[in-house]
Amino acid sequence: MRYLITFAMMLFLFPSTGAAGYKQEFEDEFLTKPWAGVQIEENLCISCHASEKMKPEFREITEAWQASWHAQNRISCENCHGGDPKDAAMSMSRQRGFVGSPQFQKVPEFCGKCHIGILSNFLESGHGKALKAGRKAPQCVTCHGSHNIQRASIDIITEQLCAKCHSYERAKLMKQALFLTEKKIAQLEKSLQELKREGVYPEADEKSLFSTQAEFRTLFHTVDVNLVKDRTGEFTARLDQIDKNIQATYRGLKFSKNFAAFLMLTFGGMGVVIFVMTRTKD
Amino acid sequence: MWTKIRQWIEVRIGLDSLIQTQVADFRIPKNTNILYTLGFLAVIAYATQAFTGIILMVYYVPHPDHAFKSIQDIMTKVPYGWLFREIHTVGGNLMIMIVMLHMLTVFLMGNYKQPRELTWLGGGLLLIITVAFGLSGYLLPWTQLSYWATTVVTSIPTAFPVIGDFVAQILRGGDRVADSTLSRFFALHVSILPPLFLLLTGMHLFFIYRTGISATPFGRRDDEKRPLSAYKRKTHPDGYPYYPVFFQKQMYMTMAYFTIMFFIIAFFPTLYFPEEANLPADPFKTPHDIRPAWYLLAPYQLLKLIPNKFFGVTLQMILVALLLFWPFLDTQKEKNVLKRPVLRGVFLFLLAMWIVLLFWGRT
Amino acid sequence: MKRRRFLKIILAFLGSVTFFSFFYSLLKFLTALPARTAEAKKLVVLKSEVPSGEAKNIVYQNAPAVLINRPDKGFAAFSRTCTHLGCLVDFSRTRQHFLCPCHAGIFDADGNVVSGPPPKPLTAIPLRIDGDSIIIG
Repeated sequence: MRYLITFAMMLFLFPSTGAAGYKQEFEDEFLTKPWAGVQIEENLCISCHASEKMKPEFREITEAWQASWHAQNRISCENCHGGDPKDAAMSMSRQRGFVGSPQFQKVPEFCGKCHIGILSNFLESGHGKALKAGRKAPQCVTCHGSHNIQRASIDIITEQLCAKCHSYERAKLMKQALFLTEKKIAQLEKSLQELKREGVYPEADEKSLFSTQAEFRTLFHTVDVNLVKDRTGEFTARLDQIDKNIQATYRGLKFSKNFAAFLMLTFGGMGVVIFVMTRTKD
Repeated sequence: MWTKIRQWIEVRIGLDSLIQTQVADFRIPKNTNILYTLGFLAVIAYATQAFTGIILMVYYVPHPDHAFKSIQDIMTKVPYGWLFREIHTVGGNLMIMIVMLHMLTVFLMGNYKQPRELTWLGGGLLLIITVAFGLSGYLLPWTQLSYWATTVVTSIPTAFPVIGDFVAQILRGGDRVADSTLSRFFALHVSILPPLFLLLTGMHLFFIYRTGISATPFGRRDDEKRPLSAYKRKTHPDGYPYYPVFFQKQMYMTMAYFTIMFFIIAFFPTLYFPEEANLPADPFKTPHDIRPAWYLLAPYQLLKLIPNKFFGVTLQMILVALLLFWPFLDTQKEKNVLKRPVLRGVFLFLLAMWIVLLFWGRT
Repeated sequence: MKRRRFLKIILAFLGSVTFFSFFYSLLKFLTALPARTAEAKKLVVLKSEVPSGEAKNIVYQNAPAVLINRPDKGFAAFSRTCTHLGCLVDFSRTRQHFLCPCHAGIFDADGNVVSGPPPKPLTAIPLRIDGDSIIIG
C-alpha cells in the first residue's frame, strides 16, 4: 500500500522537473500581479522622465510627485498635463490633450480644472485679482508647490512665505481666524482614524467631515478674514455635530467591551463551577 | 409531570435503554487526558459558527456594492450585531486552532493507527474543509484585506502549466476577483461546505464509535495487537463511565472555549482586524503588505521561498497528501511517540518549521 | 451532598444568566427595524417652486438634498452628497448637470456620473406627485 502511494506521488513530482522551462514565463506573469509584491506601473510618462537619460531636474519631478498626496490618490501626470500615458508616440501629443506646463498667470485655471470651488474663490480674492492684473501675486504653486503637493494644512501659512510681498500681519490675522476650526478638524480626523482602527468605518461622518473641511479651506482662498470669521460659527456647528456622532460611537464601543467582558465572566464562572464539581466526591 | 413526559417518550423510542447503553454504560479508557475533549470542542465550535453565521445572514448582503456596508451596519446599527459578528470571526479562527490541535494530539498519541486510518483520513479532510470555510468566509466582508488576500490565494493555481489559469478562472469566476467571485464564495461558504462538513463529521464519529475509543499509549501498555485480522470493537470495561466523568470534562472545556472567545472579544477586539480589514475593497489600490490569514501564512511563506512556483505548489500538495495518508504509510506497531525517536524528531522539526514560517510570513 | 447541591444552584444561575443575555441580544438583533420612513418627516414642495430646467436645494432628513425639474422627465430628488468624498454638488442651470466643486465630478440630470472621480451615481430620494405638490420621502 505504502509503495503504491509513494509511487503515485513520484509520478506527480516528475512533471515538475520538466516544468523548469516555464519558470521564466510565468515569473514574468507573476511579477505584474500583486501576489509578488511590487506592481509594475505602466505609466510611460514616469518611465521616460525618471530614466537616466533625463536631466536631473526632470528626474526630480517624478520623485517629487511620488511623494505627493496626488500620487497616493492615483492622480498622475496625464490628469493635469494631458497626453497619453500608455502610448509612447502620443504621450505628449496635443491630440491627446497634452497642454505642457502652464504659464505663471494661467496656473489657477490649470489646477482649477478639478479644484473648481477653489478657483472661483481665488479669482474673487485680492490675490487672484492682482494676478490677473499682471501685478506681483501668488498662485497655487507659490504656496502648494507644483509636484510634491501635500494635504492642505494651516502650516502652509508662514511668515517666510507671506512676507515676500507684504507684511505678515494680514496673514497672521487669517491664520488666527482659521486656527481653532483647523484644530477641531485635525482632532476629528484623528478620532476617525482611531475608530477605523477599532473596527468601525464611520462613512457618513468621514464624508461630512471632508465636505466641511473642503468648504472651509476653499473659503480661505478668498483671503477675506472677515468672511472667514463670519462663517466660522456655521462650520463649527457642523463639526460639533460630527463630534457628537463620534462620541456616541465611542460610547457604543465601550458598551460592547463591557458586555463581552460580562459574558466572559459568566462562562468562566460556569467552567470553574463544573471543574469544582468534578473534584467533588459524591 | 416530568415522569409522565419521560414515560411518553420511553414508549415511543425507548429512550431509557438508549441512555443506559450510550451514556451511562459507555466507558472511556482510564488513561485518557483532557486533550481527548478537543474533538468535541471542534463540533461545538462548528455549531457556534453555524448558528452565528445564520444569524448574520439575516442582515448581510452578498453583493460587492452592499457587502461592506451591510457588515458595517451589523457592527454599528443593528443591536448586538457586533456581538454575533465578533463571535463568528473570533470563533472561526479559534475553530481552526482547535482542529489543528486536535490533529496534533491525535498524531502524538498514535491514535491514527490501524484500524483507525479512515478516521484520520476523514479528520484530515475536515481540516481542509475548515480551512476552506475560513478562506471563503474571508472574502465576504469585501474589505481591502478580503479582496487582496483572495486575489493572492486564487492566483496560486496559476503555478500549474496548462490547467492553472483555467482553475484560477473557475475559482474566481473570471480574470479578477469580482462579484462573481463573491457569489460563488458565498455559495460555497453557506450551502456547499456545511453539508460536506456535516457528512464527514458524521462519518468521522461513526468510525470512532465503531472502532471504539483508542487508549493513549502513555502509562499503560496498549493491548491492541497489530496488525488486526478481524473486526473487533474496542471496549473498556474497566474504564470511566461517559456520564458524568467525561461529560463534565467536555463541559468545562466548552466553557473554557467560550471564556477565551469572550476574553478576546472584550479586550482584543481588533486581534483579527488589521487596518485593511476596515477599509472597503478598492480594486485599484493594493495595500502595502497583503498576506493571507495566519493559518495560511506558513504555506504562503514556503511558497515565496521556493524559486520555482510550480515546484512550490506541488511540494505543498505532496505534504498535504503525506499528512492525509500517513496512517497508511506508518504501519509500525509502536504507538508511543516517546519510544520512536526518529518520528518524534521529524515531527518536532516540521512543527518548528511551521512555526518559524508562520512568524516569518508575518513580517 | 450539600456542596454539590450548592454548586448545581450556582451553575443553574450562571447558565440562565448567560442564556438570557444571548436570548435578549438575539431578540433585539432580529427585531431591529430600519428607520421608519413612513413616519419620517416628509417634505412637501409646491410644483410652482421649481420651474422646468431648474433645481431647488432642500433639506431632507437633516441632510442636504436637491429637487430638480427635468424638462423631459419631470421631477427627481437626489442627495447632494457627492459619492466621491462627500462634498455638496451644485446644479448648473446653463449646463443642466450637477457639478462637484471639490474634484470636478459631474453628474447628469438623472444623477448618473458623467465624468470625474465619483464612483457611484447620486443617491436618489423617492418622491411622488400629488396634484400641485411634490411629496419627498
